[in-house]
Amino acid sequence: MSQETAFNPFATAQAEFDRIADLIGLDAGARQMLRSTQREYHFNIPVRMDDGTVQVFPGYRIQHNDARGPCKGGVRFHPQETVNTVRALSMWMTWKCAVADLPLGGGKGGVICDPHNLSPREQELLCRGWVRQASSNVGPVRDIPAPDMMTNAQHMLWMLDEYETMTGGRYPGAFTGKPVGMGGSLGRTQATGYGVVYTLREALKELEIKPQDTTASVQGFGNVAQHAIELYHRLGGKVVCVSCWDQKDEVTYSYVKPEGVDLEELRSITDHFGGIDLPRAKDLGYKVLPGEVWLSQDVDVLIPAAIENQITSESVKLISDRVKVLAEGANGPTSPEADPYLKEKGIFVIPDFLANAGGVTCSYFEQVQSNMNYYWELGDVLSRLDVKMTAAFYAVFDLSKKRDVSMRDAAYMLAIDRVAMACRDRGWI
Amino acid sequence: MKETEKLIGDLQERAKELRCLYEVEKALNDVKRPLPEVMRQVVEAIGPGWQFPEFCVASIELEGEVFESRGFRMTACSQETPILVQGEAVGSMRVCYTKECPEEDTGPFLEEEVQLLESLADRLGHYLLFKKLQSMGRKWRELETMSNEPGEENWQVIIDLLRETDDSLFLRISRKMLNFLCSIGISESQAMLQQIDKEYDPEELGTGETNVPEAFSATDNTLLLDGGPFRLAAKYITGEEIIFYVQKWIQEDKAAAFLNVLDNPRSTLSEIQEALRRFQQAAQDGAGLPDSTMKSVGVSLTQRVLTEQLDFVKTAKDHVSIAFFRDLMDRIIMPIECHGKLGGKAAGMLLAHCILRGREVARSQVASVSADEAMGAANGVDWNLLSEIRIPRTWHIASDAVLDFIAYNDLEDTLHQKYKTIDEVRRDYPNIIRLFKNSSFPPSLVHGMSAALDDFDGVPIIIRSSSLLEDRVGTAFSGKYKSLFLANQGSKKECLKALLDAVSEIYASMFGPDPIEYRAERGVLEFDEQMGILIQEVVGTQNGKYFFPAFAGVAFSKNEFRWSPRITRDDGLVRLVPGLGTRAVDRTGDDYPVLIVPGQPELRVNVAVDEIVRYSPSKMDVINLETNTFETVEVDRMLKELEGRYKGLPLVFSVLKDGRLVKPVSILLDPEKERIFPTFDEVRSDRKFLPQLKGLLKVLENTLQTPVDVEFAHDGDHLYLLQCRPQSQAELAPPAPIPQDVPAEDIIFTADKFVSNGRVEDITHLVYVNPERYGELATREKMKAVGRAIGKLNKILPRKKFILMGPGRWGSRGDIKLGVSVTYADINNTAMLIEIARKKGSYVPDVSFGTHFFQDLVEAGIGYLPLYPDDEGIRFGDRFLLGAENILGELLPKFAELSDVVRVIDTAKVTDGRIVKILLNADLDKAMACLAEPGLKLEKAPLPGKQDNLQPIQYWLWRKQMVERIARDVDKGTFGVVSMYLIGSVKNAIAGPASDIDLMVHFRGGQEQKSQLLHWLDGWSRCLSEVNYLKTGYRTDGLLDVHIITDKDIKNRSSYAVKIGAVTDAAYELPMGED
Repeated sequence: MSQETAFNPFATAQAEFDRIADLIGLDAGARQMLRSTQREYHFNIPVRMDDGTVQVFPGYRIQHNDARGPCKGGVRFHPQETVNTVRALSMWMTWKCAVADLPLGGGKGGVICDPHNLSPREQELLCRGWVRQASSNVGPVRDIPAPDMMTNAQHMLWMLDEYETMTGGRYPGAFTGKPVGMGGSLGRTQATGYGVVYTLREALKELEIKPQDTTASVQGFGNVAQHAIELYHRLGGKVVCVSCWDQKDEVTYSYVKPEGVDLEELRSITDHFGGIDLPRAKDLGYKVLPGEVWLSQDVDVLIPAAIENQITSESVKLISDRVKVLAEGANGPTSPEADPYLKEKGIFVIPDFLANAGGVTCSYFEQVQSNMNYYWELGDVLSRLDVKMTAAFYAVFDLSKKRDVSMRDAAYMLAIDRVAMACRDRGWI
Repeated sequence: MKETEKLIGDLQERAKELRCLYEVEKALNDVKRPLPEVMRQVVEAIGPGWQFPEFCVASIELEGEVFESRGFRMTACSQETPILVQGEAVGSMRVCYTKECPEEDTGPFLEEEVQLLESLADRLGHYLLFKKLQSMGRKWRELETMSNEPGEENWQVIIDLLRETDDSLFLRISRKMLNFLCSIGISESQAMLQQIDKEYDPEELGTGETNVPEAFSATDNTLLLDGGPFRLAAKYITGEEIIFYVQKWIQEDKAAAFLNVLDNPRSTLSEIQEALRRFQQAAQDGAGLPDSTMKSVGVSLTQRVLTEQLDFVKTAKDHVSIAFFRDLMDRIIMPIECHGKLGGKAAGMLLAHCILRGREVARSQVASVSADEAMGAANGVDWNLLSEIRIPRTWHIASDAVLDFIAYNDLEDTLHQKYKTIDEVRRDYPNIIRLFKNSSFPPSLVHGMSAALDDFDGVPIIIRSSSLLEDRVGTAFSGKYKSLFLANQGSKKECLKALLDAVSEIYASMFGPDPIEYRAERGVLEFDEQMGILIQEVVGTQNGKYFFPAFAGVAFSKNEFRWSPRITRDDGLVRLVPGLGTRAVDRTGDDYPVLIVPGQPELRVNVAVDEIVRYSPSKMDVINLETNTFETVEVDRMLKELEGRYKGLPLVFSVLKDGRLVKPVSILLDPEKERIFPTFDEVRSDRKFLPQLKGLLKVLENTLQTPVDVEFAHDGDHLYLLQCRPQSQAELAPPAPIPQDVPAEDIIFTADKFVSNGRVEDITHLVYVNPERYGELATREKMKAVGRAIGKLNKILPRKKFILMGPGRWGSRGDIKLGVSVTYADINNTAMLIEIARKKGSYVPDVSFGTHFFQDLVEAGIGYLPLYPDDEGIRFGDRFLLGAENILGELLPKFAELSDVVRVIDTAKVTDGRIVKILLNADLDKAMACLAEPGLKLEKAPLPGKQDNLQPIQYWLWRKQMVERIARDVDKGTFGVVSMYLIGSVKNAIAGPASDIDLMVHFRGGQEQKSQLLHWLDGWSRCLSEVNYLKTGYRTDGLLDVHIITDKDIKNRSSYAVKIGAVTDAAYELPMGED
């Protein structure tokens, strides 16, 4: 593991934690408990390579906190992984599960390796090796890994198979992110996008705005954005602008149609990566404008659902006075410096880790279904998701009202408080 | 009424003619009947065939003997025609009317009757020839049975027969026998020779010191014709020996006749074709001829038909066969008076074909295991697999057909096109295309192409250029001339029209601005360029209304794009696409081929599923059989349209399902609904395809002694080789010599890991992202800003004249602190992307090799190099990079605050006009960037000669050869040298690029001699050092390390003398020359 460098993600995460802990007046014991990780497993995984040699890869699993339930979090394959990145990510998972009120803790793991140098067979051995090292400390009731950077459903199936071979039973709930039919859950593609709109719906309700009277502008046209638009249209809203990356020109464009975009029409001219075919969009009557235009649209709702750091202290000034709600579908679309401006403008912000909690909630559903070996219909999954997201929204909203803090801070405070409470209930602190 | 009568009259005449022909045929068919009887029957059958049979009589005169029909008499109304056997008149045939008859076309005879008489005479000639051969054959057969018994006198019969059948051949054989007798020292033969060549004086001739031409000698052949030499021979050698030599010489003589045609520059390709056919019939593919003759035939044919390039001929001669040329010649379309060749592309493909096929022949004949084969076995080449590789059916148009075409249409003006300015050329080009397309072809070419079309029988074809300049080493004209696909559907007329159209378009492309500019740049404008054409069947199958191969691509035997340290240069590289290979050969810019390394097929460039999907080919090229066109279609749409009926689908495609890519093998998969991508996952593990391709590359590279690239296609069942040529310069940059004498302060950096070949020159700006400062940035926002600054610099710095150096992995999508966050668009103008892995405590971070846009780098030809500044022996110019003036603030005032992190150095500004060169040498695994004067060549190019460049340099081998040369040359007396020995790394064959040569000299002489010796050796030493420098870039003071030992040393076994005759690591005594 590398020496610490100046930029330490874990230190940054701890500083943010300290700020919130101050806000809620957390006691010293709880602080100490929660600002560090609960358990860390570091191990070496030997792999017999295709050419007969043996290479040893460092692997690990870090469990930040499991007071509220078994840990949940991804396993990543990355050549330059650092322990501090993983620590920070495991802590983040704890808060994420807590804010959605899922009975789960936070964990993260990985292997220092570069899959570009590994054949699929070697990757399989690495997955199985990881499970052999970590098996006694993970599992459906202890810690449930999921796909992450450079790992996918296939890796989960290899890991699951090794785990089940070792334990002598079938435990589909030991891993999530599995394909449907192999212990996976329906509704995964919709979950995040729908989740964003479930919270948006409640926010509008609280602001006493009818969804059918609203218009929205969406950044991105990938999986999250498409499903968000789908549900938002069903609520009666009208999306007038979609912006997305153009692979050919290597810039982003905004596609504008004041009378409202037709989702199916746009989908029919979109590639697998959410890239819209520009000439055909023009033919269909869309006005094609520079990428940043999505932000300055005269709409009621903004949904950034692409990449991080889009709303900065600079670009925030472009936002129209008409905008009432910002629903953060992407991770970290708003830079901290932009938050004061948003507050000043009176824009209601649904913070990312509340708005896009639909994804992790669906992972939780997958685990629940796997544990009972009974799988729900799509409708069941989505209606349960609605219940969970709505409840999560109001828990945060009520707290922000009660303590007169931003939605973002409220979400954070709620998460930390819930975890601290669980630790106290268990008599740990 | 009259019309009908005339018609009936004509038809009656034809019927009579046919009856006459039939009667004559019947008479001649009975070959056993004696000749006079047959002739009498023939002569009676002639008259009834003529217009007025009642007055018609005929006669045949044959070698003095006359046969007449009943009532024959000579009249004025007669026609006559000679009877020819092998071109020689042996008699004549005559028809007379005994009564005056009305005037017709030719006197009283019809035109048809003139022809009829000629064909009868012709037929009779054949019959007589047959008779003659028959009787000769009988005699030969008798001889055969005789020669089985040890009869001394058989030779006499053979000689007689020979004289009878071919006296000129007999004369030559007779002369050869005499020469042979002289050569074995029979004195009587000398006398006979003297008798024949009156002036012959064995004492005087051939001593040749004088400068006067040797006197002409008149020859008297009577003695030779008389068979004198044979009688003489019978005295000294056995009859069997005589027969053996005579047979051998007859064989050689046949080859000589053929070689005469072949070597005569005036003989046309069709004459060669004819001579080849005759030679083949007579000599059964040259069985029994000496190897040297066969090689000579092979070389001549190669030079005449394929190419005159010496390197090519040298390799080809061991692989081509007569049978190969016979088959090939039948598929060459040639103009009348053809002196053309098939061109570079065809030659390369045909040679590859021969190399692959030749092995089978050799194997079936259980020939001795050749060196190549042994090498093949050592490299694990499976010849059984290779023998399954197919070559598509191909026709050729000879290169000078284009000149015929131009002359036929009076287009000679275009030949001067190349001397016009490039603007004029560009302006004229569309006009030339139009002109060529509206021109017509000479009939000989039209007929040839029509025959080719019949042979292709409705299969789609590709028309490829194969110019004489194409595919020569150093001028890889790839893509400069056109290649056109034809669906070849519809009526024969339409197909032929399309073919002619395509050929004329390719002819026109000779005069396009691109090739002319390219030729001017390469200095081959004066070369008399001609355009051969390949008409090749398109490999593939019909899928719905489309025709295409399951997949196709191009493969390189050397890999210059290694994304993982586990991949070596020799592992090769394949670019694969579904459908026609055009999209793999050309870089399309908006699409990606799948890259596979045959030596490491399981290592992928793209690992994450979304990357695999993003970088998979999205379009494919196909031939639409309905519209008769070449089309580019979206893979996705194509699969849906075909409803999965795509031959070879499981090899090429994977299904994206729940976030992973799976084999499309389940019956539950629905091509309508699934998202299917060409990933070639099954190709990687296919037991046949990659081993075949790997073996193919290895064998071709070893045989041709140069890295190769091949184009191929796969129809789902079989691999087809479409083209083979030396790996082009663009793909295979030669290793740059790394100079050793660059002052330390001029070196920006050096590297010794994962280096590719090539050079990046004329760098005017360095962009250096200081890894330490970058790591210290406190916020993501600032790190992002660095990426944006790079993106801006990419737009404003001179294109391909700047390099980007930065920490870890550029464009890292994960943790931003691992590398500057950029997209491909932010770096696409750089000449080279350099990733710096600085030690952090005890840990060195990995660099990317395969960032997600690695494939973009490959497609754009952007170099890539990882640096490890903290490794031992590596130089890294911190002082220059950190000390030189930073112009970031000047260029981008907005980003001035990042000046601490991002340093932009205008090298000319800070070094008085100097620029930076980066030299990369994969053979040595070394690279260096240094400051240099612009335009000045820092070092010379390596010596020409491809072995040196392209095969791994065997440092010890050439050193040893050179020392052996020194030992041979040393003047032992003058220098007092007794013997010389080789010791050390060269002797042990472990010498590296900078190793010196340990030479031990056993010296016995005076001081003066010793200093002379050392002086002489020093000259060699310096010279060898220079040679080594040119080969490797290593500069040494001298390459020889000379150890002098004396008799005393040897006696006492002191100093280096201990090595002489040592049990281990003994000195190698060098063979010395004579004084």
